[in-house]
Amino acid sequence: MSLSPSTSKMLSLKSSDGKVLEVEEHVAVLCETIKSLVEDGCADSPIPLANVDGATLGNVMEWCKKHADQKASADDLEDWDAEFVERDQGELYHLIMAANYLNIKGLLDLICQKVADMIKGKHPEKIREIFNIENDFTPEQQEQIRKDNSWAFE
Amino acid sequence: MEWETSWIDHDYDDGKKETKAFDSYLELSDEECKENNLISIDLVLPDDLLERILAYLPLASIFKAGCVCKKWNEIIRSRRFLWNISTILGPKPWYFMFTSSDEPVGHVYDPMVPKWYSFELPDIGISSWFIASSCGLVCFMDNDSRSELYVFNPITKSRKKLKEPPDSKFSDYSTLAMSVDRSSHSYTVTVIRSNQAPGDFIQWDLSLHVYYSETMTWVSHVAETLTGWRGGDDSVICGGLLYFLVHSTRGMGWTGNRHGLVSYNLSGQSSGDALINSFIPVPCPLTCGRLMNLKDKLVMVGGIGRKDRLGIIKGIGIWVLNGRDWEEVSRMPHKFFQGFGELDDVFASSGSNDFIYIQSYGGPALAVFDMHLKQWKWSQKCPVTKRFPLQLYSGFCFEPRFEVSP
Repeated sequence: MSLSPSTSKMLSLKSSDGKVLEVEEHVAVLCETIKSLVEDGCADSPIPLANVDGATLGNVMEWCKKHADQKASADDLEDWDAEFVERDQGELYHLIMAANYLNIKGLLDLICQKVADMIKGKHPEKIREIFNIENDFTPEQQEQIRKDNSWAFE
Repeated sequence: MEWETSWIDHDYDDGKKETKAFDSYLELSDEECKENNLISIDLVLPDDLLERILAYLPLASIFKAGCVCKKWNEIIRSRRFLWNISTILGPKPWYFMFTSSDEPVGHVYDPMVPKWYSFELPDIGISSWFIASSCGLVCFMDNDSRSELYVFNPITKSRKKLKEPPDSKFSDYSTLAMSVDRSSHSYTVTVIRSNQAPGDFIQWDLSLHVYYSETMTWVSHVAETLTGWRGGDDSVICGGLLYFLVHSTRGMGWTGNRHGLVSYNLSGQSSGDALINSFIPVPCPLTCGRLMNLKDKLVMVGGIGRKDRLGIIKGIGIWVLNGRDWEEVSRMPHKFFQGFGELDDVFASSGSNDFIYIQSYGGPALAVFDMHLKQWKWSQKCPVTKRFPLQLYSGFCFEPRFEVSP
């Protein structure tokens, strides 16, 4: 990562698979977890992030970099985010877990909303298919649940 | 002829089958495409994150998600989940629209999706109602005896019949209001009755009865005689005060305002003070004035009448009460007003949080005003069918909440 014109301090982040990423401090502190380390003065050596793999960490920092950019307008960010979430399910799940671990509320909300949009408006059969979930209800149980809130199944 | 008919029927049936077969083929190929990317969301994500995702869904989708598998069903039924989603969904009130009050069926509008669902209220066997709603609960009082009251949650369908209020003889005018305490979920229901004093056109007797859910009892608060004014059919509880509109009982010679607002402190501190001392005139000649509590602010929606021609309105306005002064928040834009049928001076309106719904009695058009964004919108078209020309439409809004029960 090249030095930006600002004289922001650089932080080293170490992923679970041993990759080291150099990130500007003002970008990395969008992660509350890292921010508290910095504030406590524990961010000197490469910060080990045992729960985030290198590829996911790269994606997370890409998001943080965009959102740390003071020049980006709200509309601009919205368009950029919409493109950012166009990923396969595996990547989305990794991002959710990383955003949760690193405590980045904005990113966590974004990805959860994306996955929710994949569920929204679909019938249970279709949801099972998309997310590869086994139906462990008996037909009778299934029918009862439908009956209780039949309006929702129109 | 017969032969032909059966041909057509047969053809039609076949067509239906084909579509179905085609559908399932589509789904299959869809699945094949994803074969190399099949990670079960359940195996990857811990429960708390799955719960977080489901909390982003609109209510109808949450119910459908509960049908996917046992684990998802457990999540959406957990107390914590229901509490959390209520804080997300609650602020966007739903609107229940009905055409005939003979049966408790109608359509409900979820502004979050946005979509209409055909919806049934708990069947309480009342055919004509007074309605009040607050924080997920709705209160109905029957129009005939005005002494049968029910409180229910339209989403969970839990309900309770209240004890009869005291002094439940029929009254000329009645109005119902309710208020739910957002933290304790205890609630208060108020009934104001107005009766013409015997042999007098100007004087009206007004009585107020308050039901407290905590003690499950009615307490009679006020019995007072108003001169020149009578109570009406609209009231609301807002910030511990009960507000209601009063109507002038003076004849056509009266040139002053025909409506006003009166308030009563429900904690009873100001008792002894005559109600009429709290009188605040309305900002203009008014029809269909409706009071609502939007985030503890008293808001009034009303048709702006013409002084010269009663019964014809030139617009619909929204005002908020600041101290003793009305401040105009917005006026319905002309194209919306036209969409209602301009000459129709009767409409229903109700609101909660940042939303106000306004609906003409003559049709299913529903306008929504967002107090926060100061924005007017039409709802999606309600799928209700008009069965006869003079059919009347009405409705009320309520917050979709799971955690509140009567």
